[in-house]
Amino acid sequence: MSQKIRLLYMEGVSPLRSQTVYHAVAYAMKEDTPNTIIMVSPNAPYVCIGYHQDMQKEVDLDYCAANGLSVYRREVGGGAVYLDNGQLFTQWIFHKDDLPSSLEERFKLYIDPLVQTYQELGINANHRPINDVHVSGKKIGGTGAAQMGIAEVVVGSLMYTFDKKTMSKVLKVPSQKMRDKIFESLEAYMTTMTEQLGSTPDRAMVKDLYTKKVSEALGAEVYEGEWTAEEEAMAQEIDARFTSDEWLYQKGRLQQPGVKIHEDVHIVEAAFKAQGGLIRVIARLREGRIDDVSISGDFTLLPSFALGALEQSLRGLSATPETLKSKIEEAYYRLSIQSPGVTPADFTIAIMNAVTPPQPA
Amino acid sequence: MIFYACDIPEDLYYDIERDVWIRFDDDVAVLGMTDVAQTRCGKFAAISFRDVGKKVSLGKTLATIESAKWVGPFPAPFSCEIVETNEIGFTQNILLANKEPYTLGWLVKVKPTNLENERAHLVTGDEAAEKYKERIKELKINCLRCID
Repeated sequence: MSQKIRLLYMEGVSPLRSQTVYHAVAYAMKEDTPNTIIMVSPNAPYVCIGYHQDMQKEVDLDYCAANGLSVYRREVGGGAVYLDNGQLFTQWIFHKDDLPSSLEERFKLYIDPLVQTYQELGINANHRPINDVHVSGKKIGGTGAAQMGIAEVVVGSLMYTFDKKTMSKVLKVPSQKMRDKIFESLEAYMTTMTEQLGSTPDRAMVKDLYTKKVSEALGAEVYEGEWTAEEEAMAQEIDARFTSDEWLYQKGRLQQPGVKIHEDVHIVEAAFKAQGGLIRVIARLREGRIDDVSISGDFTLLPSFALGALEQSLRGLSATPETLKSKIEEAYYRLSIQSPGVTPADFTIAIMNAVTPPQPA
Repeated sequence: MIFYACDIPEDLYYDIERDVWIRFDDDVAVLGMTDVAQTRCGKFAAISFRDVGKKVSLGKTLATIESAKWVGPFPAPFSCEIVETNEIGFTQNILLANKEPYTLGWLVKVKPTNLENERAHLVTGDEAAEKYKERIKELKINCLRCID
């Protein structure tokens, strides 16, 4: 590894530039370009979608337009996210040989300084492999990796604040109930520095702390530098591409069931047409178990309180058809449930359709 | 050859640096990710192919792969023109390359456009096996396949 790492510190750039800057430094990288860390935050909020997502399917574009939110597609994977000045993105653009070849080790190297920064601030953060940072089971920022040109890129953020309400509004979801569930889950499973500390830490202090931790982790000097004219020209080129309809509206290929809150927590939704009516299910899965579930639809189920009791009885269960069906049958027996044309097997199918969506033939 | 669970069939050609296998079939070459490459990449989440008919230079991108944690290119082992992609296969099962990297999980078929001058780095047979042993040791990798 080269003994010097260039730091580009760019607080308060345009939303577009906060994305294109790391693509530009990566694509402009040559053999003699220093390994570079960019710390950047946008001066306005926006929405960023993953490389293979379909913007029209994933983002509530009407809401974004009404609220002046731009949408950009990054060349890093994952899902749609609402971003604003409350996050300081930490983007590493390194030569391939200066990072571990395995992704697991690469993420560990990248995440360790984030964790140590949080810990020194008094936040009990830890690395939740492969690539999450957690505080007591809550996620504090996500990370991703990509190869761009000859550069290997790892991105993530230091989370001062995160607007969970707006995050839940920018996603295109099938129902308000699903949106409410997303917000509730973000509240339950995501956190920030401000939430953990009770106040927002000084940004200059966090920058210095993170820089120091990076330097220690990599055994290399970190110096504050400028980007080159060539990198800036590349950024302008990428700005143009990132705002083109061809790039933004390309058809998505990512089949992503549900909404991922963090590595262990997903919200999924599905419907199943039983003989006695349509069953809709919204479930929150945690480590393969049902953390929470809402069942609705146009079927009849008596006694009227039984649906809530049925939902309650499913919480904590392993999301397998045998376990679910057995528990639902037990609830039918215990509560003397009657549901014309809808059987415990139908509820099981509806829930399993959400847990593991049927594959295309 | 199977080494640290990584299958490296000796009848194929390889661009070891780019972790691409090649099966020459008359004037067409079938390309895919090696067992080592698919293991390092992890389970595919999505793939986008360049258009059929596109001419691609050595080292440039034939397809872009997204796995759970990484996005990156599937590079051309020599300059070529894309004649077919396995888009239908991956649409039906995104894990094809994670399950059967050398058969059902092929990625693209191409016509080489400058092979005479760009094949010196390709290896096959015992030479490929020996070089991959070194690479597998260097990467400290144990290959894994998806079974569902």
